[in-house]
Amino acid sequence: MYNTLKTLCMIPSVSGREDAIRNKISEIITPLCDECYTDSLGNLIALKKGSAAEPKKIMLCAHMDEIGFIVTYIEEKGFVRIAPIGGIDPVAAASSEVVSERGVRGVIVCESSVKTADIANDKLIIDIGAKSKKDAERRVKIGDFFVVRPSLTRLTSSRVCGRPLDDRIGCAVMIKLAQSFEKAPPKHDIYFVFSAQEEVGCRGAKTAAYAISPDYAIVYDVTGTGDTLGAKPMECALGKGAAIKIKDNSVICHAETVAELARIAKEKNIAHQFEVLTYGGTDTSSIQMSGLGCRATALSIPTRYIHSGVEMLDLGDAAACVELSTAFIESLA
Amino acid sequence: MELKELIISLCSMLSVSGYEYRSFERLRSLVGDSFDEIEQDGVGNILLIRRCEKQSPAKVLIDTHFDEIGMIVTGISEGGFVSVAPIGGIDSAILPSSDVTIYGKRDIRGVLSSVPPHLRRDSDSKKLSEISELFIDTGYPKEELLELISIGTPVGFAPVYTELLNRSICGKSFDNKACTAAAIFALSDIPKSELAADVYLLLSAHEESVRTGGVAPAAFGIDPDYAMVIDVNLAAVPDVPKSETVEYGKGISISVSAITDRRLTKMTEELCRDNEIGFYRVAAPSSTGTNAAALCLVGRGVPTVDVGLPLKSMHTYNETISLDDAEALSALVRHFVCSEKIKEAFVV
Repeated sequence: MYNTLKTLCMIPSVSGREDAIRNKISEIITPLCDECYTDSLGNLIALKKGSAAEPKKIMLCAHMDEIGFIVTYIEEKGFVRIAPIGGIDPVAAASSEVVSERGVRGVIVCESSVKTADIANDKLIIDIGAKSKKDAERRVKIGDFFVVRPSLTRLTSSRVCGRPLDDRIGCAVMIKLAQSFEKAPPKHDIYFVFSAQEEVGCRGAKTAAYAISPDYAIVYDVTGTGDTLGAKPMECALGKGAAIKIKDNSVICHAETVAELARIAKEKNIAHQFEVLTYGGTDTSSIQMSGLGCRATALSIPTRYIHSGVEMLDLGDAAACVELSTAFIESLA
Repeated sequence: MELKELIISLCSMLSVSGYEYRSFERLRSLVGDSFDEIEQDGVGNILLIRRCEKQSPAKVLIDTHFDEIGMIVTGISEGGFVSVAPIGGIDSAILPSSDVTIYGKRDIRGVLSSVPPHLRRDSDSKKLSEISELFIDTGYPKEELLELISIGTPVGFAPVYTELLNRSICGKSFDNKACTAAAIFALSDIPKSELAADVYLLLSAHEESVRTGGVAPAAFGIDPDYAMVIDVNLAAVPDVPKSETVEYGKGISISVSAITDRRLTKMTEELCRDNEIGFYRVAAPSSTGTNAAALCLVGRGVPTVDVGLPLKSMHTYNETISLDDAEALSALVRHFVCSEKIKEAFVV
């Protein structure tokens, strides 16, 4: 899974500009599925047909967009003013290298007069090394998107850090599942949704769920942990397995499906833990309430330092998500 | 069954947001054969349907959210102490020393921890404890508790009901199951021939917990011609401003809001006047704070009236309502679903 994750992480694709990552995922997933298309919001949807006579519809979903910045104004001296796309932590972003969708490189810095404690998104600017406004305008246009430069480092055999693990790890889990269905075809219709615009309000998943109208949905996304120094108490840690989401701040998952996932994990001896997140939101919420609604759940990959350039996770947890999903889909009558 | 008993039966059931399904069978046996159909969907909504005798009938939706605020277990520690996270708008000011029920493999009674005044430092005395700092004391050994509950097990206030003077009752979860009970009470014995339309009584899920509750997907499936949303409303007590509350014991409230249907609201008021049902208007400027706001925008749009049952001490274990008001609400629901005039106005 590391190689897939690395490939996916290296392709910047801010919310609303998912073309590059979508093309890459499409290239990987199309040969593994029966149908593959892009909808009008930019979601990539791939269907692997089930073998059952009356298959259920199961929607698996991970978002392929990432947080970033949009250019709002170019100053006289050639500094680039920006606004955040999605939940940018200004302290984590300040003093990072960035790259634009056109491949222009630069650094994010804070206005010089701002004290460390006062760092805020509206004090961040990008320096692309331009000599003047005119020079900057040749390389950057209003509305261009920037991201903090992608990276991926293997810290130990199972732990990696970099960005954007949120949520390329979820995409990597789904690709792994699609590959496993090549060898052992699923009983049910599996809709792989690589959703757009999650970071700006869980938008893409909503229309995708409406179109598919699934019986069940499983979302793969990162979640916070309680295993760092000074963390809020939370029974979720790196390396302890797939985190079966009970709730986050946007959703309470379908409790009967949660219980079923827990039962199967226990029975099959798949490493798992439970996630009760008192902040944050995921595509699970919009899928649950879209159209006629569905049994929506999520398997999360515990991740430290989310929305920074050094997000960290354990690949074993992602592997457990694959294993538990396979067992769950298999168990459905 | 009397209305009071029905209210207490419904409000005693576990229906913490997301766990409404655990009371489905109890609800089904309570409601019995009074409804033609009882359904449950993948979101957790429960739908009770009464069919009228008409050819190609109109569809009227009555929405009363069925979920209640509560907590869920986040951890289990030595000595039988259980940590929890809130579901919905739990006020941590009222939690210390409250009685709760943990709905595990069997119901477990517990008490939320509190720091005695003797042990509080001066600097702490005015500070409220966060819910994450509180623990439920169960008295169980940890090992036994682990057999009965797990992370995610729902927790609710203990169902204890007290009758006060002048037909008032207090207890947990009248928000919003007192309204559900009033609607079930109204609908269960109306003769088929008197129904103006097929009646869909929606016991919607997730109203307390998330931005858009279960009402939207349920209503999308029903596609009603017109609807009434019923929820509790903040009733006046001496220490809150009159301008932000409704009167208690004088009937129901009807919201006037930009988002709800003006004509349906007016016709509902007429229905109250014609049948001597106490009501008064409240202004809910651009939205309603209830399911009505979401329901109005479902599908092609649903003409909706927003009705409230006055309730004191909202979101506590001693929510207080007047049975007179609950009866007024029940009477309104009955007249609303039987009104040919309203049906004619909203069926195209």
